[in-house]
Amino acid sequence: MLAMEPGLMPGASAANAVTPASADVIEVLGVGKRFRSRSGKATSVFEDVSLSIRRGEFVLLLGPSGCGKSTLLNMIAGFEPPSEGRILQDSTPVLRPDARRTMVFQDVQGSLFPWLSAQANVEFGLRMAGMPSAQRTSVASRYLKLVGLDHAASKMPFELSGGMKQRVQIARALATDPEVLLMDEPFGALDAQSRNVLQAELERIWQATKKTIVFVTHDIAEAVRLADRIVVFGTGPAAKIVEVIEVDLPRPRVPTSLEVARLAQDIGTLFSRFALHAQEGAA
Amino acid sequence: MATVSANLSRPQAAPKAIAISPGRMFRTSLGIIAILVAWELLHLYVVNPLLLPSPFKVVKTLFALLQSGELIDDIAASMRRILVGYSMGCAVGIGLGLLMARSIWVNDLLSPILEVLRPLSPVAMLPLVLIWFGIDEFAKYFLVSYTAAIIVLLNTAAGVAAMPIIRERAAACLGANERQIYLHVILPSTIPHIITGMRTALGFSFMAIVAAELIAAENGIGYLIMQSRMLIQVDQTFAGLLTLSALGALSDVVFRLTLSRYGRRYQQEIFNV
Repeated sequence: MLAMEPGLMPGASAANAVTPASADVIEVLGVGKRFRSRSGKATSVFEDVSLSIRRGEFVLLLGPSGCGKSTLLNMIAGFEPPSEGRILQDSTPVLRPDARRTMVFQDVQGSLFPWLSAQANVEFGLRMAGMPSAQRTSVASRYLKLVGLDHAASKMPFELSGGMKQRVQIARALATDPEVLLMDEPFGALDAQSRNVLQAELERIWQATKKTIVFVTHDIAEAVRLADRIVVFGTGPAAKIVEVIEVDLPRPRVPTSLEVARLAQDIGTLFSRFALHAQEGAA
Repeated sequence: MATVSANLSRPQAAPKAIAISPGRMFRTSLGIIAILVAWELLHLYVVNPLLLPSPFKVVKTLFALLQSGELIDDIAASMRRILVGYSMGCAVGIGLGLLMARSIWVNDLLSPILEVLRPLSPVAMLPLVLIWFGIDEFAKYFLVSYTAAIIVLLNTAAGVAAMPIIRERAAACLGANERQIYLHVILPSTIPHIITGMRTALGFSFMAIVAAELIAAENGIGYLIMQSRMLIQVDQTFAGLLTLSALGALSDVVFRLTLSRYGRRYQQEIFNV
């Protein structure tokens, strides 16, 4: 299965060629995260989280602030190691960040390279991989077009609005053709209008590219609108997955439709019940 | 697109947002004329003319010194010392600053030394430098490099530390390796801080070299000023001081037109946020 065809070049093309039979692209196995506070006491953010993410699936990690969903996403990216458990991509352990999983951050100001144009930002990963300039330009242009920014390719990040910057970041994350797109509350800092537009765009882009997306949010409506599956986290510390909800609503979804609203309401009820439990537990 | 040049934190930084308008030219000229008139009046009626020569006398002396070639030699001597010392200092400062910010070992090894050296001004270091290196050129190069290196180093290290961690993470998950992250992310992110440090260091290099030349030199602007003091030629003292300001201002302009302009691409966050 892992034997390569002779003459296959190592690197990105080979990685794409070896497609494992398993439908799960990411496996989170009994993962926990502890922090040691200054007094030396270990605090557990979450513990024993197990999760399988299917190829091409749009998974939302939903939970209140402090439940560790962003920490989990950082661990899937390879930015920080889990305190316990393992994370696998295509059956091999994730030990460090690489271009098979790219992250879209909420803070575009920090994450985009301010000295590079939109085009050059999107080309960055390709340049690092040593792709020739002409080819880079055409790939980057394609992705800028996909996110609707082909007219702004030569603009510098500071010339773009928050929503446009986020589009650049999405194009940049897609340009290296990763298996999995990780998104950490990417629309959390945008105004309601831009958020609405970008959610619709992301749904379209996902359908066009067939990428696996793991998306972190605390916004229930956003989760219901985008997800194939919602993984609901309880309140931290020592948070756990409290519910996994398959969302089988037709796409493209209309946020104001009855089914979407009803599901959002159900999850809202679930949330308040857990918040209540947490309060009682603390009392 | 408001231009915030105040972030460059240099008092001599001209506010870039204000273009040179006729109104501004007029007000500035008025200020210069007022100073000259006040100076002349002080010279004529208040202060002992020996202590405060007329501004016209100063200009005359300045031209005489220029014509005799004496001033040119002094300028050349001082500028050579600044250029050599400053370049060495910047190279050391940038290199060590980048290393310190990325290696816990280098950082922890150098921090105590840096904490000790940081408060020591070039003037305070001068006696030691003279004992160690004598009064030849190397002592001056050393003093200027020392001054520039510490300022540039601190700014460079602060610049690396100020880079958002997610920028590095973004690069890593786009497939950049350790070396590429250093070269294509950390270095460009730090350039605004390096340029700020270099510009501050340039001003301090002038202070350092004059201090050195006042005490131990056979030429240079500092020497010229000190010599005029011995001979109580206050007009020459003023001529030396004027030359110093002119050189300082000129080098800052040259700096702005070259390095700062080149670095502007990397300073979007300073100029455009």
